[in-house]
Amino acid sequence: MKQVSNMSDLFERLNDLKVVFRYGQKLIPIIQSIIDFMKETVPLLEDINTSIADSTNKIPKAKDQITNVTSATELATTEILDIADSISIDLDKIEKELKLLQENETKKKELWVKIKDLLKDNDGSGQLVEEYEQLDNSIAVMANFQKVFDKIKNDVYNITLSLQVQDITSQQLAAVNHLIESVRQRLSSLVMHLDETELSNMELVKIDSPDNSTFNPEAVYTKSQEKQDMADSLVNSNSSKASQDEIDKLFS
Amino acid sequence: MDLKFLVVDDSVTMRRIVINSLRNLGFANYVEAGDGKEALDKLGADSSINFVITDWNMPVLSGLELVKTIRGDDKISKVPILMVTTRGVKEDIIEALQARVNNYIVKPFTPQILKEKIDQILQAA
Repeated sequence: MKQVSNMSDLFERLNDLKVVFRYGQKLIPIIQSIIDFMKETVPLLEDINTSIADSTNKIPKAKDQITNVTSATELATTEILDIADSISIDLDKIEKELKLLQENETKKKELWVKIKDLLKDNDGSGQLVEEYEQLDNSIAVMANFQKVFDKIKNDVYNITLSLQVQDITSQQLAAVNHLIESVRQRLSSLVMHLDETELSNMELVKIDSPDNSTFNPEAVYTKSQEKQDMADSLVNSNSSKASQDEIDKLFS
Repeated sequence: MDLKFLVVDDSVTMRRIVINSLRNLGFANYVEAGDGKEALDKLGADSSINFVITDWNMPVLSGLELVKTIRGDDKISKVPILMVTTRGVKEDIIEALQARVNNYIVKPFTPQILKEKIDQILQAA
């Protein structure tokens, strides 16, 4: 009896095994499609990895180009400042000469008054004196020259002031360079650890400029007085005996 | 009072613009430095410097650190300091005031503002 019972068990197990094999036969195409999918995906992932590595390698070149732009604009700005200085020096020289001419003209006018006085008794000189005086407008002309010189000097000075834009844009470019370098570091890290965790971490990372940076990423070239007004207001509050509490209050 | 300015900025362009502006305002006596450390060296070597105009963001030693170092050194702590910087947010201005700058200019500056701030500092001194 025991033998019969054992045989029944055996048939049951063989039946189970048959079911497993049948189920396995159904799974084979699915496993095959997974294998095919992986075969296609692996080269794609390798492509992505290569592409990221390639982009990462190109980043230093982008950084260099930005640094070159900064150097070029600094050089050009220095040249403009040199030229502006040279114009200012020349204008100063001309202005000095013009002042001498003006002084001479004033002396000549004084002499002319005396000459005119001597000529008043001479017949026929009246007409000549009148004609001469009509032509002699040199003092007025020189006064106009002086106005034009003042305007040119002021314009040259304003050009130099506008060159502050170079310092401000170079800080903005330095901030961009810092950002690019941060992205390069993240991409390098990604190439080494290409997984979902790394990706989700990357999205959360905020790229800040270091505390001791030589640039201000917020630098702006603007004619707006808003920020200076705020600085004045804070400085005035401070100088009219602001306590630490008051400063803290402004801060809050 | 004869003023001798120390103009501190890592940008050569900015130093030249500030110095041009000082010359236009009639101040011909100045020295310059490219960072806070160089500025401290110049201050230590030249006791006739009696006015500092400094940027904030600089290599080696920042303008803010320069201000703090000057204020902490009895020999030079009374030197007036005018900060000229691109940093225009409230927190930065307050931080500079807490470090005891005498006045503050946000770049880009105009010669009128530079004159106004120098006058204010000299009047208060």
